[in-house]
Amino acid sequence: MILFLILFPFCMAPVCLLASRKSTAARNLTACAACLAEFAAAVLLASAPDLSFSLPGICGLGLTFLSDGFRKIYCLVIAFAWLMTTVFGSEYFSHYSNCGRYYFFNLMTLGATMGVFLSSSLTTALVFFEIMSFTSYTWVIQDETEEATRAANTYLAVAVIGGMVALMGLFLLQSELGTTEITLLYERAAQSGNLPLLYAAGGCILFGFGAKAGMFPLHIWLPKAHPVAPAPASALLSGILTKSGVFGVIAITCNLFFSDQKWGTMIVLFGTVTMVLGAVLALFSVNLKRTLACSSVSQIGFILIGIGMTAVLGPEGSMAASGALLHMLNHSLFKLVLFLSAGAVYMNTHKLDLNEIRGYGRRKPLLKAVFLTGALGIGGFPLFSGYVSKTLLHESISEHAAALAASGQSALLFRTVEWLFLISGGMTVAYMTKLFVALFVEKNRDPAVQARYDADTRPMRPASAAALLIPAVLIPLFGCVPSVFMGRIASAGTGFFRVEPLHHAVHYFSWTCLKGSLVSILIGAGLYFGFIRTCLIRRNAETGTREYVNLWPARLDLEEVLYRPLILRWIPSVLGAVSAFFGENRVSGRLAGILFLAFQRLASWFGTNRITGPVAGKLFSASERLAAWFGTNRITGPAAKTIARSSEIGTHAFSDSLDAFVFLLRRTVYRDAPPPATDEVSTSSAYRLGALRDRTVSALGGQTGPETDYATLYYRMKVTENRVRSKLTGNLSFGLIMFCIAAVAVFLYVLILDRI
Amino acid sequence: MYAVLMILMLLIPAGAGIAEACMKRASKTAQDALLVSALAAETLLYALLLFLPVNSSFLLFSMTDVLTIKFRMDGFSILFLALVTVGFLLSGIFATAYMDHSGNRSSFYAFLLFSQFALVGMDNAANLITMYMFFEMATLLSIPLVLHDRTPEAIGASMKYLFYSIAGALLGLLFIFVASRYSDTLDFTRGGSLNLSAVSGHETLLLVVSLLGIVGFGAKAGMYPLHGWLPDAHPVAPAPASAVLSGVITKAGVLAILRLIYFVVGPDFLRGTWVQTVLLSLALLTVFMGSMMAYRQDVLKKRLAYSSVSQISYVLTGLFLLTDQGVQGGLLQILFHACVKICLFLCAGSIIFHSGKTRVSELLGIGKTMPVTLWSFTIASLSLIGIPPAAGFISKWYLAEGALESGLPVMNWLVPVILLISALLTAAYLLPVTIRGFFPGKDYAVSGERSDGIPEFWLPLVILAAMSLLLGIFGGTVTEWAASLASLVL
Repeated sequence: MILFLILFPFCMAPVCLLASRKSTAARNLTACAACLAEFAAAVLLASAPDLSFSLPGICGLGLTFLSDGFRKIYCLVIAFAWLMTTVFGSEYFSHYSNCGRYYFFNLMTLGATMGVFLSSSLTTALVFFEIMSFTSYTWVIQDETEEATRAANTYLAVAVIGGMVALMGLFLLQSELGTTEITLLYERAAQSGNLPLLYAAGGCILFGFGAKAGMFPLHIWLPKAHPVAPAPASALLSGILTKSGVFGVIAITCNLFFSDQKWGTMIVLFGTVTMVLGAVLALFSVNLKRTLACSSVSQIGFILIGIGMTAVLGPEGSMAASGALLHMLNHSLFKLVLFLSAGAVYMNTHKLDLNEIRGYGRRKPLLKAVFLTGALGIGGFPLFSGYVSKTLLHESISEHAAALAASGQSALLFRTVEWLFLISGGMTVAYMTKLFVALFVEKNRDPAVQARYDADTRPMRPASAAALLIPAVLIPLFGCVPSVFMGRIASAGTGFFRVEPLHHAVHYFSWTCLKGSLVSILIGAGLYFGFIRTCLIRRNAETGTREYVNLWPARLDLEEVLYRPLILRWIPSVLGAVSAFFGENRVSGRLAGILFLAFQRLASWFGTNRITGPVAGKLFSASERLAAWFGTNRITGPAAKTIARSSEIGTHAFSDSLDAFVFLLRRTVYRDAPPPATDEVSTSSAYRLGALRDRTVSALGGQTGPETDYATLYYRMKVTENRVRSKLTGNLSFGLIMFCIAAVAVFLYVLILDRI
Repeated sequence: MYAVLMILMLLIPAGAGIAEACMKRASKTAQDALLVSALAAETLLYALLLFLPVNSSFLLFSMTDVLTIKFRMDGFSILFLALVTVGFLLSGIFATAYMDHSGNRSSFYAFLLFSQFALVGMDNAANLITMYMFFEMATLLSIPLVLHDRTPEAIGASMKYLFYSIAGALLGLLFIFVASRYSDTLDFTRGGSLNLSAVSGHETLLLVVSLLGIVGFGAKAGMYPLHGWLPDAHPVAPAPASAVLSGVITKAGVLAILRLIYFVVGPDFLRGTWVQTVLLSLALLTVFMGSMMAYRQDVLKKRLAYSSVSQISYVLTGLFLLTDQGVQGGLLQILFHACVKICLFLCAGSIIFHSGKTRVSELLGIGKTMPVTLWSFTIASLSLIGIPPAAGFISKWYLAEGALESGLPVMNWLVPVILLISALLTAAYLLPVTIRGFFPGKDYAVSGERSDGIPEFWLPLVILAAMSLLLGIFGGTVTEWAASLASLVL
């Protein structure tokens, strides 16, 4: 069953690719059928008892899978989200090119994502995590615009770097604990007790999975990648893929570092920064999908706080764990609804800028209702599902703060977190109101555009509308009767967090619980009217209309300011210089040069005969005299001549034998080698003569063609010659030196060492 | 039986090579047929060899009592022979189509076969003398492959190859002199053949000479400081030759080092000494430097050559760790790297053949016209980077675990860190080819027909890419086999 869930989409991917070669309808049908089958399988899995399953030897390390409450729930969510986006996609992609590959990789990603969520060991999770990163890359780059390429490359870089760092963490875990099975981590870690190493390993894994989740400071890819991807893909990226990162964070936080105060507090702090930063970015953004993407960053922050609180509270962390789990689930739903709504807008207008799509939804009640449900849900309004999870999270923080205060410890940190939590909730309300008002309440600045928008009364086909409506209906359904649905889900899923299900029923609609939500909503209203409407909407001096402006300084972008220069320029230039130093043998080349020079000096010193000169001179004159004596001697004269002659011949023969060898080779093995160039002059004097001729011709008023430009030819020959020479001397010299050293070593050994 | 098979395996490539050299005037078809059938016969013989009991051996002849030419087949021979037979076969098939490009077919085929002859002998060598003899032969007989185009660059590069190799081999020879003095036999012995009572008192000498020997043989494997020839020599050769040079012939250096450490000197003699530290530092420096230089290269084949420098030192790192899992990872890396690098060089060759483009920056949209080639390239790249489920992931896993297990100070964590940084660089220098090839941008107009050439071009690519993926997914058997080999020598 588990294997089917993972492998089925992989098998269907090529089928879908083939179908898309055939026709669009066939493609849509195959894709929807595959997703439907997957959903049915997920339902079956969810109704079956817990399974575990292993494939020893696959991928060299063996893969292990498990289906427990949490995993089953998420498999359902994944299959559901894929089904909805695929149904929606059949209309969305009707005008796209290159869709075959999108559908191919879409199904591959489905399989890989299932693999991540069903894996019971971190290694297995990482295997599928990497596949998922690479296949989902094609989503982001689908449009192939400059922006999309840039965002996709950022996404890939973050994914690859994150994957590698996580792998480092797994190396450490495996060597320290001997396993990466998630359920075994806690006991083994307690036995090992080597905390610094475990923190290092955990930090690496957190980096890898946190990058995917969109945790600060690795959130950079998210606001770039989501807006450029096609809407169904954005919905999945935001709703599901980020959760696979969260899955990894839960796996280590609630297992490896279960009830570890320091680790938990750190996660809470990271979560807080992520939450606030995402919300602030979303508040400023004027691009529909970018706002939603930043909102994802912020909501992931909420989830991380819940996970961190679970680790801080340890066994008492049921409320935080339920909150985190439910918020994950809710966020998947909200983003599905919101991004698909954004897709519906983009599908018709091909624009995302708030000023341009302003007023698009005024006469579209369905779209308005759906978007409103999503917005109310994510804003945490009572009776909507977001309220439940946020309340649980909020209560867990405030209870812990209260407990700390009661036991006399400083609760300042958690009080601050609590307030930031409420403020971020307020900001969520504010930016969602901003989107809603812009899209559905206000009129476009251009009446003609508004008229066109209003005339478009049927923005989508019924199938797409259903894909929007079904997840939207779930939000109030879950929210109105929390204990029926959400309570059960929470109690089924908290096992993964190593905590007991909630013992007592939470009174969701009691005053204490409602208070947090109301404070958030009030803050939100205040922010909207006090900040957005006054500061972020300016009157355009030219047209006189009021427009949304992005006041967020463009320079304040972690990616542009820090990461890109760091990774693309600074690190490569420093390390590149270092490796070029070694790689091109700069040291030894220099050394070789110096040695050559020394040899040359030495040779020329001998050559100019400072010492040997006189000696040689004397020897020479002596031999001359000797030769003269012989020469005058009648008997020996002819003999000496013969000797001289024959030695001359011998020398010639020796030197010619090399030529003969080359000649022989040419006639045999290298017969079909091109003969030496004869049509080109190859000596410098010939070139000089040719150049002289050219000059003469031009002086006489004649024309010289480019092919007879001997000066250029000569120059070219020189360049080639120099290039070869520098190549030969630069590194050959080093080889020669090593050769000499080796030869000397061998001879030394033979001569000296062997005698000892 | 082993003797018969072994002699056949030596005779077939040698004989076919001589025949090729004499077939200057023969038709292209005849030359191709001879090459492919010889290589296929060799592969078939290798398959037969697998049925023989391990450690079969035979003595060819004795020059003196001590100097003998002797062959023996053990697990390592089997591993390396797999590369030499299958790698050459696939490259050979590719060459039959590729050599339309550069002519002088028969001499190229002849030397390809001669190289195979030397490598087969080397892989089966049972003692240092035999190994050294075939090692030198492999160098000399593969030089004409580099020299093939006879451009000034090719001549320069082949001279460089010659000098570096001879310098390295002389260092190796020095080692053989010393080792023969301090050991009872020159035959490869599990755990080392050194006579430790004779060695006592001369440990430093032996350590220094072992270091020199390893550095010397490392020239062939492109290890710093004798790596300089590799990035020049591999790219100038025709693509099939670059493929076997990078994928197979460099592994001759690896095998020599493996024999030297684990069968002559003995891992126990080196473990924990300064020599191990020096060797690991050199290997890691090479790993990092190779990747970084590859990242800075624009010419695709040169990039791949630097990548080889880096990747082969992964293997050496594993061997120098002297731990089970390190050796296991190293052996796996030998196999996986061969698959991947042959595939990558052949892809580069196919691209050069069909489009004439040699630089990475020119490869925009190449995936639109040559999809099969670029898909193979992509899968091989993913394997080289170490992205699961492709094969490279497994070898990297065991290398890192081997390092963490070794308990060496600093090196135990430095090795995995360098491996991962290098993997990142690998991603940075290989993925742009894929990205630019498949996603040229919205406004890119596809020019030219969609074609991956004739099957001789794409079939080897697809086989190798599939192997590097399937060896990863169903890697259990290979992994266990490598583990058993590793436990054999440690």
